[in-house]
Amino acid sequence: MNKKLPLFGIPKLMPFIRPYGKKLIFMIGLGILSSLADTIFPLFNSYAIDHFIAQRTTRGIVYFVLLYLGLMVLQELDNFYCLYQCGKVELSIDRDLRNAAFNHLQTLSFSYFNQHSVGYIHARVMSDTAKIGELVAWRMMDVVWNVSYIACVLMMMLSLNARLAFYVMILVPVAVAVILFFERKLVGLYHQIREINAKITGNFNEGITGARSIKVLAIEEKITDEFRYDTARMRKTSVNTTHQAAMLTSVVTLLSSAALSMVLWRGGWITIQGVLKIGTLSVFMSYAVGVLEPIHSIITTLSTLISIQVNIDRLMHLLEEVSDVADTKEVQEIYGDSFHPDRKNWEPLNGDVSFRDVTFRYPDGDEYVLEHFNLEVPQGTNVAIVGETGAGKSTLVNLVCRFYEPTEGQVLIDGKDARSRSLLWLHSNIGYVLQTPHLFSGTVRENLRYGKPDASDQEIWQALKAVSADFVVEKMKHGLDTEVGEGGDMLSTGEKQLLSFARALLADPRILVLDEATASIDTVTEKAIQDAIATIIRGRTSFVIAHRLSTVVGADTILVVRDGKITEHGTHRELMQTRGYYYSLYRQQIEGSDWHDL
Amino acid sequence: MNQKKRQIQFHTKASLVIYFLKGSLRYFVLSILFASIVSLADLMNPKIIEYTVDSVIGREPLAAPGFVQKLVNGAGGVSFFRSHLWLVALLVLGIALLGAVCRYLFMLFDSLGAETFVQKTRDSLFAHIVRLPYAWHSENHTGDIIQRCTSDVETIKLFISEQLMSLFRVVLLIVMSLVFMMRIHTGLALAEAFFIPVMVLSSVFFHNKVGAAFEKVDREEGKLSSIAQENLTGVRVVRAFGREQFEQERFMRQNAGYTDLWYHLQFILASFWTSGNVYATVRNLVVTVLGVLFCVNGSLTAGGFIAFLSYNALISLPVRGLGRVITEMSKAEISIDRLRYIMNAEEEQETEIRGTGEEVSGINAGPDSFTYDCFRGDIVFSHVSFTYPGRDHEILHDVSFTAPAGKTLGILGATGSGKTTLLSLLNRLYELPDLTEADGTGVPEYRGSITIGGTDIRDIPLPVLRRQIGMVLQEPYLFSRSLADNIGIACDSVTQQELDRAASVACLDETIDHMARGYDTFVGERGVTLSGGQRQRAAIAQMLVRHTPVMIFDDALSAVDAETDAKIRQAMKEQIGDATVLLVSHRITTLIHADEIIVLEAGKIAERGTHEELLAAGGIYTRVYELQTREA
Repeated sequence: MNKKLPLFGIPKLMPFIRPYGKKLIFMIGLGILSSLADTIFPLFNSYAIDHFIAQRTTRGIVYFVLLYLGLMVLQELDNFYCLYQCGKVELSIDRDLRNAAFNHLQTLSFSYFNQHSVGYIHARVMSDTAKIGELVAWRMMDVVWNVSYIACVLMMMLSLNARLAFYVMILVPVAVAVILFFERKLVGLYHQIREINAKITGNFNEGITGARSIKVLAIEEKITDEFRYDTARMRKTSVNTTHQAAMLTSVVTLLSSAALSMVLWRGGWITIQGVLKIGTLSVFMSYAVGVLEPIHSIITTLSTLISIQVNIDRLMHLLEEVSDVADTKEVQEIYGDSFHPDRKNWEPLNGDVSFRDVTFRYPDGDEYVLEHFNLEVPQGTNVAIVGETGAGKSTLVNLVCRFYEPTEGQVLIDGKDARSRSLLWLHSNIGYVLQTPHLFSGTVRENLRYGKPDASDQEIWQALKAVSADFVVEKMKHGLDTEVGEGGDMLSTGEKQLLSFARALLADPRILVLDEATASIDTVTEKAIQDAIATIIRGRTSFVIAHRLSTVVGADTILVVRDGKITEHGTHRELMQTRGYYYSLYRQQIEGSDWHDL
Repeated sequence: MNQKKRQIQFHTKASLVIYFLKGSLRYFVLSILFASIVSLADLMNPKIIEYTVDSVIGREPLAAPGFVQKLVNGAGGVSFFRSHLWLVALLVLGIALLGAVCRYLFMLFDSLGAETFVQKTRDSLFAHIVRLPYAWHSENHTGDIIQRCTSDVETIKLFISEQLMSLFRVVLLIVMSLVFMMRIHTGLALAEAFFIPVMVLSSVFFHNKVGAAFEKVDREEGKLSSIAQENLTGVRVVRAFGREQFEQERFMRQNAGYTDLWYHLQFILASFWTSGNVYATVRNLVVTVLGVLFCVNGSLTAGGFIAFLSYNALISLPVRGLGRVITEMSKAEISIDRLRYIMNAEEEQETEIRGTGEEVSGINAGPDSFTYDCFRGDIVFSHVSFTYPGRDHEILHDVSFTAPAGKTLGILGATGSGKTTLLSLLNRLYELPDLTEADGTGVPEYRGSITIGGTDIRDIPLPVLRRQIGMVLQEPYLFSRSLADNIGIACDSVTQQELDRAASVACLDETIDHMARGYDTFVGERGVTLSGGQRQRAAIAQMLVRHTPVMIFDDALSAVDAETDAKIRQAMKEQIGDATVLLVSHRITTLIHADEIIVLEAGKIAERGTHEELLAAGGIYTRVYELQTREA
């Protein structure tokens, strides 16, 4: 992860920079012109001193003004164009990177999502991209302007008086050394500050989400003291950082003044001798004062470039991640890809599922969780999967949905290998209800239509009635137009559950996968959910990760999972008779279950 | 009732800021002081250059104030400096050195002020938040509160340490440089002064526009961010419904719209920056031309002209920043109000214990001073009814029972039957309403009372109460530190021996042995690296090391398998000693040996008695028992 990318990783960004390449090169040219103008302006002052003031005349002042204004207009047009375009390029690169990252994520398999937290991926899509755009556009322009400004000033000074220019130039390496010295320290300190800041935010999080435990344990004092330790550390580190930064700023301005006094001393001397005109001396003074700050700016950019490495690296990792579940070229040609489906070639799905000698191991695991597993699930069969939390109940479901593919063997859908048809074809025919129902922000209608975008309101109400969720929507102020909030925040867990049933039902899938919720829900909703499950699995091939006794007992086949492996399977009666693991599990489930099941 | 500690209420924004500024104000004052010396030094050098150019290099008579004249004459007159020009250069450098030192100090003190301010603000917020009643925590969103404690604090800090400080500095700089300019040439200085309000006003104008545009962009960014967030958390739903294309279009549409808004903002910003440059250049031109004219008619010298140009350059950037201060002010005001919301929320009763003896002294002791002995007495719930604040559904109806001292009381109840509420009332996470606070219908409504050893729990200082009642939650929260620190978190010090004993009773010893770092294993945020059962067992160990006279288990072994459950219960028997125990569980086997068991249903006590009595009664308890023990 921390290996160094060649050339700060910029070559890897080229595909995203190239579309704006011409514009960027044009802007580099304009940037150089602008810095040239900045070098020329002091000459006006010097001319004013040596010509108008020294000769006590106003002859030609009109041309002077016109020339000045003309140059100004040109430079400001140039500046405006650069500033605007530079911003646009930055924003466009940001946008393109975000799109690329987001779209790529839509094709990545679940093993990626299991290995990376949502927060981590989200930061790649939103913040890394922004940093990179800023780097490419602004920082580059900054460097261009600064480098060419320094070059122009040096050349100008050399042409005006080489000796005097030399006195200013000997300060440049001193300045570079000083700035490098401090910048190196600052990079580390900024890193520390970010770390402590994250810690403090984490502390706030703990103080708020852990409120109940803190009170029960009566440890307010202790927690607060520890918090104070971190804020004190933050203060110390921040002040230390400012100490370094302030030293740097002070030394750079002092060096600028040193350049100025050097010019005053040596330049003053040759002016007295008549070698230099007063105006030229004044122009030298303004160059001397202004030449060191751009060096500071260039070095800051370099250290930004180094610290942004991490962001480039991480984003590129995301973009280069190869999905381990993908359609082959041949399949894509017939069925289309995930973004451009070719629906006319899609055949209907009946719902026969069979596992043929399936051996499976998670890409990030080292143990086989299925070995030579065979199972026939004819269409319309209800399969219940039971086992303890973390035993690996989702494995089968993951294979049916082709979220993962078998390491060896085949999963057949309607008698044909799942890999011979497209992912989207399969997914469009599968309904999936999660244990923790996930709704998207938007209205109830938009959410219900998620699986069937063209569903009419009548169909929606039918689906709601079928799962007895109509009462939930009816009591909402705006009915189907009610906003559910981010992640469905405005609704209770039970309500979300019912709506997600209706959503699955509306899509009318041939295969239904359902992960029953273990969460405790109020009595009325709980009853509704029980009935809803019975309704939606009727007549479909269904795989239910079951927690409720009624679901388990009523299933056509029960698969028992222990330590990631399927150890028993059969009907409830058969399994109870063998008195194996299912038997003890069943007992435990009764203990843990709510009483509505009794 | 207890007297409550007087908590400061912040009626105005200013009062809150002043409160937070305690301790940091002096740094800000020092910072301004040094900043003014910097300005002075910055203004001095052009003056020296003016004299040098005019009288040392040029041949004008020295036009300096009297004391400078005396100094120069004392040193040997202008001609002395002409032959010793390095002295002038050294003077410039010396003043620059003074400026550099003061610049360093002003930045350092500003940072000291800012950081002290932030420290004080965050400390106050944190200390306050952990002392807010649990009801407040349930009402407010975690994300929102964290946002207030982090970015709003940052906004206020930046406003004070950068905007407000720069306001002081810039005003000072403008005034001083105008004075210096006036002394060189009044007419030219007036021309200069004319530009200042123009620049400030245009800056205000642009910043207002930018501020509004920024808000819009911020909102759109938030939307874009949530689309990504929702797509990622709902990745299974997206895939299962095959809606990648839809998601892609949605994201790209929002992304494009957001970027377009930014383009617009970028246009405004570019116009602002360019217009700023135009002002500066035009001003320079006006000063140059007027300067030339004044020089030609003899009222200005070349040195004065050069000095004037330097002053002109010196103030042009800071003046442009002034507009920002005014527009940032409104942002900071909003942030201050958002913090005021937190700081004005009423804290729980004083959470510090004054004095360490048996008797609790100070303002917190109730009218009937209690002794710690009360925790060795019976716990009595008498006619307790309770409704959560802001809800209308009564969760407990007239519940009365006694948990006799030293005995074990079992509580059986379905989800939502009010078990957890009972326990929350006992350690006052929620308070029983005072009689006087009952609804104003005129009929005094009896809300019941809870007593321990005859003392009303409302007369016991909160920290005392909570430290004497050990409670294991169903979903215990572990803190991001080591396992040992978590177990001992509520104790001042725990010996290794105590740790070992608690861990072995809680059946945690084997788990710990398996961990590479043993007790020093870091449990991660909220204890994510541990399983639910491990967290529950750690919480049990955490309670055992406290040796409290009252112990409560709120379904504390639900994630532990039946075998381990039995083992823990067996080991715990000796540990419990003469403590009073409240045991809440789904599992009858857990409750079987309790001295009395009460069965809660829908907020009422439906059955009570010993295991045998309840079985004989043939009610709910019997049904649950049969289900849990029957052979298939």
